[in-house]
Amino acid sequence: MDVLLNVAQGFGVALQPINLLYCFLGVFIGTLVGVLPGIGPISAMSLLLPVTLSGTPESGIIMMAGIYYGSMYGGSTTSILVNIPGEAASVVTCIDGHQMAKQGRAGPALGISALGSFIAGTFSLLALMLIAPSLASVAIAFGPAEYFSLMVLGLVVLTFLTQGSMAKALLMACIGIVLGLVGLDSITAMPRLTFGRLELIDGIGLVPVVMGLFGVAEVLINTEQVIKRDIINTKITQLLPNRADWKASAGPVGRGTLLGFFLGILPGGGAVVSSFASYALEKRLSKTPERFGKGAIEGVAGPEAANNAAAGGAFIPLMTLGIPPNVVMALLLGAFVIHGLQPGPLLITQNPGLFWGIVASMYIGNVMLLVLNLPLIGMWVQLLKLPYNILFPLIILFTITGVYCSSNNVFDVYVMIAFGVIGYFMRKLGYEPAPLVLAFVLGPLLENNLRKSLILSQGDLLTFVQRPISAACLALAVVLLVGPLLPSLRKKRELVALDEGA
Amino acid sequence: MFLGSRLMIAVAAIGALVSAGAGAQEYPTKPITLIVPWPAGGSTDIAMRAIADSASKHLGQPVTIDNKAGGGGTVGPATMAAAAKPDGYTIAQLPITVFRLPLMQEVSWDPAKDFSYIVHLTGYTFGVTTSAESPFKSWKDVVDYAKQNPGKVTYATPGAGTSLHIGMEQMASMAGIKLTQVPFKGGAETNAAVLGQHTMLQADSTGWRPLVDAGKLRLLMVWTSARSPNFPDVPTLKELGYPMVYDSPFGIGGPKGMDPKIVAKLHDAFKKAIEDPAVIATLAKYDMVPNYKSTEDYKKFVAEVTESERKVIDTLGLAKKTN
Amino acid sequence: MNGQTKAPSKLNNSELWGGLIGLALGVFVIWSGLKLKLGTINDPGSGYVLFYTGILMCVFAATIIAAAITEGGPTFASRWQDARWTKPLLVILCLIAFSFALEPLGFLLSAIPLMVLLLRAIDPVRWSLTIPLAVLTPLGVWWVLKRLLLIQLPSGIFEIG
Repeated sequence: MDVLLNVAQGFGVALQPINLLYCFLGVFIGTLVGVLPGIGPISAMSLLLPVTLSGTPESGIIMMAGIYYGSMYGGSTTSILVNIPGEAASVVTCIDGHQMAKQGRAGPALGISALGSFIAGTFSLLALMLIAPSLASVAIAFGPAEYFSLMVLGLVVLTFLTQGSMAKALLMACIGIVLGLVGLDSITAMPRLTFGRLELIDGIGLVPVVMGLFGVAEVLINTEQVIKRDIINTKITQLLPNRADWKASAGPVGRGTLLGFFLGILPGGGAVVSSFASYALEKRLSKTPERFGKGAIEGVAGPEAANNAAAGGAFIPLMTLGIPPNVVMALLLGAFVIHGLQPGPLLITQNPGLFWGIVASMYIGNVMLLVLNLPLIGMWVQLLKLPYNILFPLIILFTITGVYCSSNNVFDVYVMIAFGVIGYFMRKLGYEPAPLVLAFVLGPLLENNLRKSLILSQGDLLTFVQRPISAACLALAVVLLVGPLLPSLRKKRELVALDEGA
Repeated sequence: MFLGSRLMIAVAAIGALVSAGAGAQEYPTKPITLIVPWPAGGSTDIAMRAIADSASKHLGQPVTIDNKAGGGGTVGPATMAAAAKPDGYTIAQLPITVFRLPLMQEVSWDPAKDFSYIVHLTGYTFGVTTSAESPFKSWKDVVDYAKQNPGKVTYATPGAGTSLHIGMEQMASMAGIKLTQVPFKGGAETNAAVLGQHTMLQADSTGWRPLVDAGKLRLLMVWTSARSPNFPDVPTLKELGYPMVYDSPFGIGGPKGMDPKIVAKLHDAFKKAIEDPAVIATLAKYDMVPNYKSTEDYKKFVAEVTESERKVIDTLGLAKKTN
Repeated sequence: MNGQTKAPSKLNNSELWGGLIGLALGVFVIWSGLKLKLGTINDPGSGYVLFYTGILMCVFAATIIAAAITEGGPTFASRWQDARWTKPLLVILCLIAFSFALEPLGFLLSAIPLMVLLLRAIDPVRWSLTIPLAVLTPLGVWWVLKRLLLIQLPSGIFEIG
């Protein structure tokens, strides 16, 4: 009963016209920054923070949360349409989403990602309302050893993202880790692999790497082909997912939501890990895993649900412990404090109106996003009808602007061009960029936590198997690694996987 | 109204585009990046966000926070010193480790030469906490346990070479015990580490306060000169028999070679910021008080701190090996 | 990659060279790791993870090389069959020119020529479409960023934008 009363009180706050307006502004700006590659919620939120401070704490925080949510929706749009992930969490969406677009099924791909996100968002908000405090312990159950093992699991999951040779994918993952370690060592502040370049002291940025490997390389590959010039070479058949699409997506959305919600609670790479863990899970469970990478709708539905559910889960450590699990949440925390509120275990009891108001507004924001995004699908799909010789200069313009804006540094534009060239040759030689990008994100976390856990255990490697969560992650990693490796010893891995499933 | 005015703004934008060449605007004409070398959500981060927000009102441009954590708060300033232009659009918080780490190991920066010091702002209240479920009820319990289990007591710090690391090692050497330091990147991470009992203790600035208030963490001591009014029952270092006080005062600075006019502008804006009652209230939440020093005084202070740190580092045997 | 011709001679095999590049990178990473100090297992140093990652890279690269030698692979020529390799080169050159011009000339003065070049150089778009597209899209991006999102793009020495 208490919860219902609280929720009612929350909606009372959120439905005030001024808060509805802030919420709308937030989701609108969020969709905009999500669609523009390179400009993420972080830069938009930190620049707009002063604007949000003009109103009441509720309005300001509702707007910030709207930006965050909106960008999560917008991020998948470019992945599907032009194969450029708007953020790390939508790298996986590129794999099957863009293939669907090429087959003239951009509408269902965008539709399922919007609706899947909506369902996941709704679920994670319900969970946030009902069980947030009891889940706080999950966030702190993960120490260095657990994180290390989770990262190992994440890297093993990478092998599911690849269609081609396993050795190539693993080599790319290793290169990703190494690239992630460039810059000052996070423990001793020693410069590593910087080749005396001052700009590299700061490490290589994720945005230029992703924009180069996906955006620029994609353009280069397309411009060299004479015949196949348009993104879609078949007719666009439908704008929204049909009954068969829904049937195929229901399971992935449900599983993706659960996976995303729980991984989202963990500080660190929760949203990213959850999106590709969901992809791997769906591929493993599928009766027809060979369709993955060739436009399987499950490969869009699961990860998109997962990364939106993770966005909800991420509120739990912030609201209950005052520990922000990612930079976006930290910005929200900053907004709380500047408004004179103290996030932490006492926030919910001391400021129930604020907490429930935000939760309710996120729900309203989700509805607004759905209303805003579904009609846009038609417009996005029309965009694909543009001939490629007009579309690709636009893609270049948006990526290059996005990369520059993400850091205000021309060096990042050089990095993007370099990775564009590298990505072009990688594609030519059959190396895939997704494992590299994901390892690039996870590598620094892996290293830092490995070193901390070895300091903690005094060099005892058994710590990784003695701690239950860590041991479970490693065991799962071994199972996943050995499973697909066995058939790959024989020649046609995918066909064997098909037999197994049947 | 939002969509209706778009056309108007577009027209105005083209007008502005045409007239923009008319004359160079005065600094600042674009957002200023303030590097905070700690992870988002810790006490420094939140204090700096409040200060930056207030300063941006005086500067007329947003001051955005860029969290570049690592190396005990030196990765951010070192990056700035190496890569940023001294145009006043990139500045950084300078924690005490910026002066201390060069005494302990090879580093890429020279605190005496590579920074333009702007203004000194405030300092920390440090404390040592443990999980509420831990058997340690007081610092004495920790010392007793550590005597029987040398090296088994682990403590999370916001980085090697931070005041927390140095202070803990000083205490350990005075008490004749051996402790193991685990370097994290900052308060948000050390909070999680000690809450989850991954490390036995946490030595950090007041980011732990909401958790202590909620009874999830137990505060064993504070490192201020007198007891904190917020925690009247918690002893200071001196009371525990360690004649030390740590507050790690900090300010902000830019890369070397900044225009004195720009320095003066930033100095004025940040000075006003720490006089802002809203900022003082935010700082007070973390037991921090404004500690203003002008650009000149700050420079002198840096030289003094470096000298006193050299002595401490030498006595602890942590000094850089000169070979 | 089906249907591509097998390499007539081993040295022409693109798989082999991919593997060799991987191996060289792996050796370099191992060397960098050693130079950065491995530390001890109680307190791993800056080069610890690099060193072991480098070893793994060498192992995977060796697997690729072994497969290339035993099974062969597509030649470079077959990979670039029917490809107009000059076009990607042209795009890259345009991008490099743009990135050098961006800060001195400002966003608008460098983006508009970039758009004109890209629209005309690869598969020429007719002028009546090129000009409005090349002028309006950078202007639109600039406006959205500056007015809606408060992000300032470089204005260059002429202070335009």
